[in-house]
Amino acid sequence: MSSQIDPVVRTARREALIVFCIWLTALVYSVSTCYLLGYNRPVSELKLVFGFPEWVFWGIVVPWVSCSMISWIFAVVFVRDGELGEELEETEDELGLGG
Amino acid sequence: MSLIPFSLLAVSESTAASDVGFGAFFMLVMFILGSVWIGVLANRATQKGSFMKGFFLGNRGLGAWALALTATVQSGGTFMGFPSLVYTHGWIVALWIGSYMVVPITGFGILGKRLAQLSRRTEAITVPDLFRVRFGSPTLGLVASLFILLYLSFMMFAQFKAGAIVMKLAWPGSGVLAVSEDQEPFLLTDKSLEQLKEDGVPALVVEKLSPVVGKGFRSASELTEPVKAALTAEEFTTYKEPIIKRGTQLDRLYIIGLLIFAITVVGYTLMGGFLAAVWTDLFQSVLMFFGVLTLLFATLSQVGGLENATRKSLEHTGPGFVFGPGFDPKAAAAAPTATASAVTTHEFLPLSLAISFFVVWVWSGVGSPAGLVRVMASQNTQVIRKSIYLLSVYNLGIYLPLIVICISGRALIPNLPTSSSDEIVPRLAIMTTKGWPGGSLVAGLILAAPFGAVMSTVSSYLVVISSGLVRDIYQRFVRPKATPQELRKAAYAAMIFAGVLSVAVNISPVQFLQAFIVFSATGAAATFLIPAVMACYWRRATVAGILSSMVGGASTVLSLYLIGILGIMPTQPFGQLTKFHPYYLLNVDPFLWGLLASGTFGIVVSLLTTPPDAKLVSKMFDAEPVA
Repeated sequence: MSSQIDPVVRTARREALIVFCIWLTALVYSVSTCYLLGYNRPVSELKLVFGFPEWVFWGIVVPWVSCSMISWIFAVVFVRDGELGEELEETEDELGLGG
Repeated sequence: MSLIPFSLLAVSESTAASDVGFGAFFMLVMFILGSVWIGVLANRATQKGSFMKGFFLGNRGLGAWALALTATVQSGGTFMGFPSLVYTHGWIVALWIGSYMVVPITGFGILGKRLAQLSRRTEAITVPDLFRVRFGSPTLGLVASLFILLYLSFMMFAQFKAGAIVMKLAWPGSGVLAVSEDQEPFLLTDKSLEQLKEDGVPALVVEKLSPVVGKGFRSASELTEPVKAALTAEEFTTYKEPIIKRGTQLDRLYIIGLLIFAITVVGYTLMGGFLAAVWTDLFQSVLMFFGVLTLLFATLSQVGGLENATRKSLEHTGPGFVFGPGFDPKAAAAAPTATASAVTTHEFLPLSLAISFFVVWVWSGVGSPAGLVRVMASQNTQVIRKSIYLLSVYNLGIYLPLIVICISGRALIPNLPTSSSDEIVPRLAIMTTKGWPGGSLVAGLILAAPFGAVMSTVSSYLVVISSGLVRDIYQRFVRPKATPQELRKAAYAAMIFAGVLSVAVNISPVQFLQAFIVFSATGAAATFLIPAVMACYWRRATVAGILSSMVGGASTVLSLYLIGILGIMPTQPFGQLTKFHPYYLLNVDPFLWGLLASGTFGIVVSLLTTPPDAKLVSKMFDAEPVA
């Protein structure tokens, strides 16, 4: 059975799993970094990196730029092209689609 | 979905008002003309092939730019409420919106390729089409289309109202320029007094209101004050509601704005269908991108760099502005002498909500019906790949800059009251582009941008709604043998009907509508995300499983919203400062509970019911389907 699964289905499923893991990693990293560095602090502890509060820089800016690069690499390197399939000729079918 | 419209009011107070008023109006006309022109172009492009596939799906020919910049940048809503949140609560909003860093990859990487393939195998034009053929169940198709029609109608009603108000406020001589003089949105007229009598308000009370007649007010609460002063306490409490209601709706310019907006949008969508919706969306997304980057440059140079901006904005606020869980303006106002370590009482983003929003933005984008249709229309897999990185660049260039702009805004214009924090972007645009050659046009573009966003959103909803009515209801159940000419007429009729209905409900909007609007966006995604994933990747999924997954997700989210809106449980001290908010069970957003319910029902019920027909599944999943 599995041998005849359409390659598009197989690669799409694998890519979806990878994307899911990227999302989960981003969530865990970003939220925990922001929480640990940036929640309920006194103003005296404010450190700025390039004008961003330190926790925003490490918790949002850095992962955002990284995710954009990862998305680029993922799209160029990992995603497999595939034939999406030809549509059937649109003739007078039972649904009356017409043309 | 929050509305920016009142932001345009800001302009009236500026010395540069007349220039900017002209700029805004000019850009508004440009948006309208541009959209109509796009409608004409799209009309030509949809001429080839069958009417249905061309009109409702653009002949599956979406390229990378169109797909990337329109499938997940769904509604102007993101740009609208968002700046006001940053201005009010500070840097924490960066975490609130942070998940947009992965939206490009999740938006196209989770379902994209497979959905595009499945829509070809099923020859689907609409989302319900896809479910119906994938599972061989007309019932499933009907349920899906009813859900979509319901959600999108509510969302569209809200957008019509937003469009009408922006239109009204930007009208020359009566909108931007004169709003603070005599064209306020809230106004009692002689005619509204007559109607109050018909409403059953005693003539004696109505007469007392005559000093208020003809004076305009910016908000319902401002109108309330003179009304309260004119009446006795008892009369005020008894008749407050009808009086305010009359003062709100009898607004000629609003009605005119509503009509012009409706005719424009329905008109160009009628001409160009799906492609008109997508192309206008693309047009406004690109303009927005340049608008934001220009404003970023302008504000940063005025404020003297981001570091200055952060420090100055902190001086005007409190520690919550630069740290989690966010700045609480009400607590700060109540205790101006509080020390730096004072604990805020209303938490904008406690940890549980920070996690929630990382889920909400990402997965509600993947599961939104209007987004699913656009993925179905993508040309090929190369287009989907390219879309991922185009959108990455776009999101990076929009969201982080907008945060920086609004933080700088707090430094430059420190004391906007919470009720008018929506004005921050237009105010900044006027302030920072003053003296630029063509500065009024830049400011005008930024002022008119919400209008463009609203138009393209409405247009895309119109297409999905009319495709639901024509393809999933009329063609399926009423006239299966309809000729292309009949279908074309039906499609036009459906769009006009949707437009007329939207105008009708917005002439006198009712309260409960607003509650459903708030619920619709998350509700729709909680209804369709898990079923779509199951349809794409799980051979064992059954019709009963998908049905219960849809209903389970929808009813869970709806219940939690109703509990919150009806005030059944005590108000929770976190989240946004809005009137309609859901109940956060265990401090978590309803969308997550919706997904949990939808997933559980889908899996359990599928496993408990008879496996689907092997031939059908093979046709959907295999390279060489079993005969």
